[in-house]
Amino acid sequence: MWLQQIEQLAVAGAINGSFYALLGVGFGLILGVTGRFHYAFALVFTFAAYVTSVMESAAGLPAPLAIIAGPIASAVLGVAVERLIYRPLAMFSGPLSLLTVFISSLGITIAGVNLITLAWSAGSRSLRLVPVVPLQAGDVTFTTLDLALVASAWILIAALAAILASTDLGRSIRAVRGNAVLARIMGIDPGRIYLVVFAIGSVLCGVAGILNGARFAVLPDMGDRPVVFAFVVAFLGGTRRSPIVIGFAGLFIGLVESLSGFFVSPQWTSLVVFSVLFGYLILHPMDLRLLRAGLAPSRARGR
Amino acid sequence: MDYWWDILNLVLIFSIFTISLNLLVGYAGQVSVAHAAFGAVGGYLAAFLSAKANWGFWAVLITGAAGAGAVGVIMSLPALRLSPEYLVLLTIAVSSIVLTIVGAVPQLGGAYGMVADKPADLWPLPGGQLLFPHQWVVPLIAFTAFTYLVCHRMGESAWGRVLRGIRDDEIATRALGCNVFASKVVVFGLTSAFAGLAGVLLYFYNQIASPSVYGLNVSLKIFAMTIFGGLGNFTGSILGAAVLQLLQPMLEKLVRLDPGQAFLIQLVIYGLGLVVLVRVRPQGLLPEGLSLWRRRPRAPAAMAPGPEAVPRITVPAAAAELSAIPAAERDSSVILKVRGLCRSFGGIHAVRDLDFDLQRGRIVALVGPNGAGKTTVFNLLTGALKPDRGSVELNGEDVRGLPPDRIARKGMVRSFQDVRLFGRMTAAENVMLGIHETAPEVWRWPSGTRGGENLVDLFLRPSETARVERETRARAMELLGMVGLAGVAEMPAGALSFGQQKLVSFARLLGTDADVLLLDEPASGIDARWVDDILRLVAFMRDSGKTVCIVEHSLHVVERLADTAIFMELGRITAQGTVRELTGDPRLAEVYFGTA
Repeated sequence: MWLQQIEQLAVAGAINGSFYALLGVGFGLILGVTGRFHYAFALVFTFAAYVTSVMESAAGLPAPLAIIAGPIASAVLGVAVERLIYRPLAMFSGPLSLLTVFISSLGITIAGVNLITLAWSAGSRSLRLVPVVPLQAGDVTFTTLDLALVASAWILIAALAAILASTDLGRSIRAVRGNAVLARIMGIDPGRIYLVVFAIGSVLCGVAGILNGARFAVLPDMGDRPVVFAFVVAFLGGTRRSPIVIGFAGLFIGLVESLSGFFVSPQWTSLVVFSVLFGYLILHPMDLRLLRAGLAPSRARGR
Repeated sequence: MDYWWDILNLVLIFSIFTISLNLLVGYAGQVSVAHAAFGAVGGYLAAFLSAKANWGFWAVLITGAAGAGAVGVIMSLPALRLSPEYLVLLTIAVSSIVLTIVGAVPQLGGAYGMVADKPADLWPLPGGQLLFPHQWVVPLIAFTAFTYLVCHRMGESAWGRVLRGIRDDEIATRALGCNVFASKVVVFGLTSAFAGLAGVLLYFYNQIASPSVYGLNVSLKIFAMTIFGGLGNFTGSILGAAVLQLLQPMLEKLVRLDPGQAFLIQLVIYGLGLVVLVRVRPQGLLPEGLSLWRRRPRAPAAMAPGPEAVPRITVPAAAAELSAIPAAERDSSVILKVRGLCRSFGGIHAVRDLDFDLQRGRIVALVGPNGAGKTTVFNLLTGALKPDRGSVELNGEDVRGLPPDRIARKGMVRSFQDVRLFGRMTAAENVMLGIHETAPEVWRWPSGTRGGENLVDLFLRPSETARVERETRARAMELLGMVGLAGVAEMPAGALSFGQQKLVSFARLLGTDADVLLLDEPASGIDARWVDDILRLVAFMRDSGKTVCIVEHSLHVVERLADTAIFMELGRITAQGTVRELTGDPRLAEVYFGTA
């Protein structure tokens, strides 16, 4: 009996974990390469779900087209935010740019989420991507939608890993992530790479948003909680590591959250997740020192 | 009327949040978006104790602040090593943990929170029960003023100077003998306690403690207020709280909207307002060093002298006066004894079985090709890196494995190849940061200092604090005068030329009063005109009894300065002797010095 319960929890955890992985990889790519603390990730997430939902129900687009429209819209939003707001602000505010970009991102999120509410009603919308059919494997049940989520998450993560590892674009992105100044000397334009990275990260975020909207509901505040998990996953995985590593961190978080439900009541599971993060921060000083040295190369000199 | 009193009261309560957060973010450079969560710790403690244990207002106020402070200390432990991006994350996690706990415990009212059963009662102070907004104004002004005074006193003292040093360059701050960990723990604990105080006040004012009152959104709002007000400026924090808190009522009055959508439109304008405000004034309304009513000496208008106007260093005069001991009678006993020092990174032996001595009043040069491990030796000696094996004896005491600040206090300090001044602090403050008046009593905490760096002195012995501060400043000015930079003492160090920065960094080292000075490429990166000045300065250090060890590539510099030289290759010492002996060695001449 309890074995079956654990199996079911593990499968649910793997599904949630794949979702967190997708978000964490997108956020980690943006933070690792551009150094922007992109809180508006939550807005991009919500925006994609709304666009797809509106395209599908109101505009009557066929589902595949609506599914494509969402991530495209989120990519446009992400790139626009970087190009029109973050970049000029960062150039203007110099050493304070991490904080000012964060505040600005916060403002964008507040304004954007409320604009969405104004435009497309505060109530819950539904989103139908694929026919939701329950599936049975042994003692465990899940749906076709869950299957679609896991598959699309890992296909996207693997594709990103492949792009980063073995294309010219990927090498350019890794070069900018390693050292933007040096990359510029090598003839890579970091500004352009930033835009590309925002586009990629936003697409991943948008796909996650659509899938989340389809699993639950499309709501203005649907991005609040997932974005915090994206931060946690990107952090645990390490923003400068391969997407696969970050992806596994997401899977791990999903499993921890879900399996802890076996021992504690559901409202405590997120506490378990944050305690894991907290414990990691205390117990892994060496990793963090390295991380920090990587993040602030100018400060690591002289050691 | 109560409407406006209400807004004023909220501005005051949020000012307590923003002022204390500014000490943490603006001075110490530690980003936190969990400030409202610490308010929750205080507020919920107050709610629980006054409802369940029937404690009075002042008792729960103090307990709430202390409880939040304790949680802040716990949070500081993982926060000690994190960069700002990750501090944002950690504090979001802390906020979530606190809110999850208070929202999930049934005794605390779950998602609905705890409603107060009695109003705040100031007894035994006059004022009695606070039932209406206008009754709250005076007490809240008093609490805000208290917060302002304490934070201002701490920020604008030697103690705050250490915080600003941590913000600008933590490694350099430690290298100057400041106990960075203690400062960080105290500043996290103290600012969290103030957040707890504000949280208790918010509970009594609203008569409810609920998760949404202290939610992440509120923390983010406090953070935005602080940044917008201006980092490192407490008056700005009050202004920031006022502007963002007034935005909503202003919009309500100014923009007549369909009531159904008014709230949403206001939030849209609020969000866009944040974006615009931070774009228009990224440094905030009142930047650091700017005051509404007086000009502080911290960041005066540029008065950069042209390169020709820079006075030459006055070392010879000073040397005649200060080095009382003739060279012949100078004590030349061994002050630093290094035996079997080893350190490897992965499989690479950066430093292997190093044995050498430094003698008092001598200059020793550490030479060798790039990658020989010279800077690593400095890092190992000063505690920036932990040696794998071996011993480092300073004045007969084993200092191996001690943290950098302890080693600096024991009398061995280093300079950095890339100088590492505190860019946003003035030249004088840079030097003052290295000057510590130590106290003999062990109980003086933290780390046995006297004056503003000691919190007990700072608040309880104001006259002594003022005296120490005056003496520290005088000593810093004297040292800056010695290196010929008295004229730029009040300039931000980041605005000085590289040569000037180097000289400031030497003045800073001399300020520590350490016996052993490790200079990493003292003459590199500056033009020939200045090299002579620097060489005279190093010679003066030796003449005044210091032991100097330099890492240097310029053979010219080594020949002119060093009494002896140590030659390193691939982490090992391969030759020791006088400079003449080393340059005369045909093998070394070929591998390093060049055959010329």
